[in-house]
Amino acid sequence: MIKIQLVDDEPNILSALRRLLKPQGWEVHTYNTVESALGGLLEHDYAVIVSDYQMPSADGVTYLQFAKQRQPDAMRLVLSAHGDRSSMIKAINQAEVYRFLSKPWDDYEVVASIQSAIDLYRLKLENRQLREEVDTQKAMLRAREQELLRLETENPGITRVHRDTDGSVLIGDHDG
Amino acid sequence: MSNAAIPQSEKELMNARLDQARRQLMQSEKLAAIGQLAAGVAHEINNPVGYVYSNLQSLESYLTDLFRLTDAIDSTESLDSLRAIKQSIDYEFVRDDLNDLLAESREGIERVKTIISAMKDFSHIEEEEFKPADIQRGIETTLNVVNNELKYKAQVIREFGELPPVECIISQVNQVVMNLLVNAAHAIDEFGQIHIRTRTDGDNVVIEIEDTGQGISEENLNRIFEPFFTTKPIGKGTGLGLSLSFNIVEKHNGRIDVDSKPGKGTCFRITLPAKQPQTPEAA
Repeated sequence: MIKIQLVDDEPNILSALRRLLKPQGWEVHTYNTVESALGGLLEHDYAVIVSDYQMPSADGVTYLQFAKQRQPDAMRLVLSAHGDRSSMIKAINQAEVYRFLSKPWDDYEVVASIQSAIDLYRLKLENRQLREEVDTQKAMLRAREQELLRLETENPGITRVHRDTDGSVLIGDHDG
Repeated sequence: MSNAAIPQSEKELMNARLDQARRQLMQSEKLAAIGQLAAGVAHEINNPVGYVYSNLQSLESYLTDLFRLTDAIDSTESLDSLRAIKQSIDYEFVRDDLNDLLAESREGIERVKTIISAMKDFSHIEEEEFKPADIQRGIETTLNVVNNELKYKAQVIREFGELPPVECIISQVNQVVMNLLVNAAHAIDEFGQIHIRTRTDGDNVVIEIEDTGQGISEENLNRIFEPFFTTKPIGKGTGLGLSLSFNIVEKHNGRIDVDSKPGKGTCFRITLPAKQPQTPEAA
């Protein structure tokens, strides 16, 4: 199940977003303080984290920076009523956010942004999974190769099959 | 005798011009202050507008679902198919959530209304006469306007005593309170407290604004009421806030005092007479 974390100090924003995201079938967790959101990071793995920018105890960029260390795979988005240049630069350079959305928001834009963030998240996970598979397969191959090498050094010729011109398998001591 | 009359009228003319210049300066400081607050006010308005707007769209989809159910009453024969529709639209949830949706949206609109009317109260330009006014209501209005500057910097603690109506130009008193509140917030590094106290003292009323900020150093304390004196970074302060506050309080025949301990905080105290002395038009 895809889990989404929403952080905003304004409870009414959180319920509006909850309504908006409900039909999408994602598991939506809402937090109205940075502290409780940090607690959420310890319990759940999120695909997407959407945070407000200006909050009482810590700003959204600081929170997302922390979230990035905790859950580097989670996609980070800012939803802010502050559209000034410096806050955007901070969000992009420090928290490496995927999108910077402004309040008031367009419902479609929010859903589409989260959806494409989820797609990327899935892609990242799939990519890692495939790489792990390749790695285990490579390790298996290498072990087999080494075994062959060992056999060959102990019993030279054992890893090869000798055939005559008809294609029949020859069994015997070829060195002799 | 006759040559004394000319400089006299010239002096009057100069005085009138000076007076006008001062009034213009005060007005432009007020507008500059509002300009500085604009970003904060936009934030305060964008939040409620954001969720109310989104809620309206959710409401639309709820209504589409509900109409699908009510329209089906005419076309369907069996009660079971109606029940199936009712189940598919998550009727129980929609019914419960509609109340919350409406209540939260109403709250949002109320907030926008409060901010807009506070801005209007605050920027009254035409009101230039002394009238009995409710100082505490003025402080609340001002708090609404500067809320966004304060709420991330300090906890505001009101300690309001009973006050009589005070004869004053309330929009100007509000401006003084606003300057002091914004300064208090700017003086706080992380997060602190701002106490706002009101009380009476004989025939006077006292407004105190005390912060737990960095305080004002001894050498700056003598200069804070000078025009264009500021310790704030460029773009943050005009250096006119306190000097105009001083002028406003003086014009109200009051006084403004300051106690400051560097590292501990600052307390500004405005003392205003509840009743202006006779002939208040000599402003």
